Amino acid sequence: MASLLVPGLRSGNASRIQRAFSPVAARSFYTSQIAQKPHTPTSAVNSADSSPSTTTNQMALAQAGSNQLSLETPQNGAEYVLSTMDKVVNWARQGSMWPMTFGLACCAVEMMHMAAARYDQDRLGVVFRASPRQSDIMIVAGTLTNKMAPALRKVYDQMPEPRWVISMGSCANGGGYYHYSYSVVRGCDRIVPVDIYVPGCPPTAEALLYGMLQLQRKMRRNRRSVLWYRR
Amino acid sequence: MVSILRVLKNIRQGGIKQWWRNMQYIGDAKHGRLVGTDSLGNKYFENYNPYEEVPGRQRWVDYSQDDFNASHIYSEWHAWLHHIRTEAPTDEAMKKYTPNWKAPYCENITGTRGRSITYSTTAPKIRAWEPVVKKREGSVSA
Repeated sequence: MASLLVPGLRSGNASRIQRAFSPVAARSFYTSQIAQKPHTPTSAVNSADSSPSTTTNQMALAQAGSNQLSLETPQNGAEYVLSTMDKVVNWARQGSMWPMTFGLACCAVEMMHMAAARYDQDRLGVVFRASPRQSDIMIVAGTLTNKMAPALRKVYDQMPEPRWVISMGSCANGGGYYHYSYSVVRGCDRIVPVDIYVPGCPPTAEALLYGMLQLQRKMRRNRRSVLWYRR
Repeated sequence: MVSILRVLKNIRQGGIKQWWRNMQYIGDAKHGRLVGTDSLGNKYFENYNPYEEVPGRQRWVDYSQDDFNASHIYSEWHAWLHHIRTEAPTDEAMKKYTPNWKAPYCENITGTRGRSITYSTTAPKIRAWEPVVKKREGSVSA
């Protein structure tokens, strides 16, 4: 990150032309390497050891060029305070995920099963809200048709920030069975940005709950104020 | 089930340290027979005493990761935890049956750089208009 604070790149209008033509500016943003220090990361994905879980090709790809471990390792006092604040915010967010239910088809039945007694989403603080203005997650459950797409976008726009979207089932992921239909949107990620894709036709309630846990993991990785401080 | 006697008994058998770890991660003072440890460092327990554990809670795992999720265990041990297989998968048993179509173990890498990214394999149906401006002929300055 310190390499981004090159003098002349960040100050004044005079460097704007220089910025456009310098080779430094053409570099992608995430450039820092994984810190090779003994540390307990929040996930095995971020650890840079040689355990069997980190030596496969996918794991190498998951770690390539990521600065997540660096973000989660505070380097001075201010970052320690900021990352602790981030963790408090993450804890509050993941403890009360209120999904907006967008039940469109048979996936909605499995979504109801997640709320029912066996999988019991309330123990995770997941409570269905009928109003988009009071919810922070939208579960798109079912086939998204062309006719429903403007309504989906409108509901998404009414949700307050920060907001997440879980795409549930094959139809919402990419059209699924109705991919070649004339009236179906081929995946709800053409309408709204999606955080978690839950595969299945329909996914089990267990799979959807696992998707919620993965979303919690995504929330836990958030280090927004540290990122703001380092930039 | 949860009772003071059971908690005290399990603390006496497992020790204060294990009880504290279980309360932090599992949320229950469990104690049972250590069935095995896999190469990722997870520990697997079982307890079939009907006075201590109800069905469904008789097999459990103590994850080695602090931020654990269900993909941090091997699929064989997942099968054992969910009573799909009876015998615990020791290393020899796992080596005995390794079909060639079986992919190597990988934890869930959702949200990292190794995540699955969708892409289209069909040719685009819309071709954008790219205007080409013809160069002016003749000199502008007369």
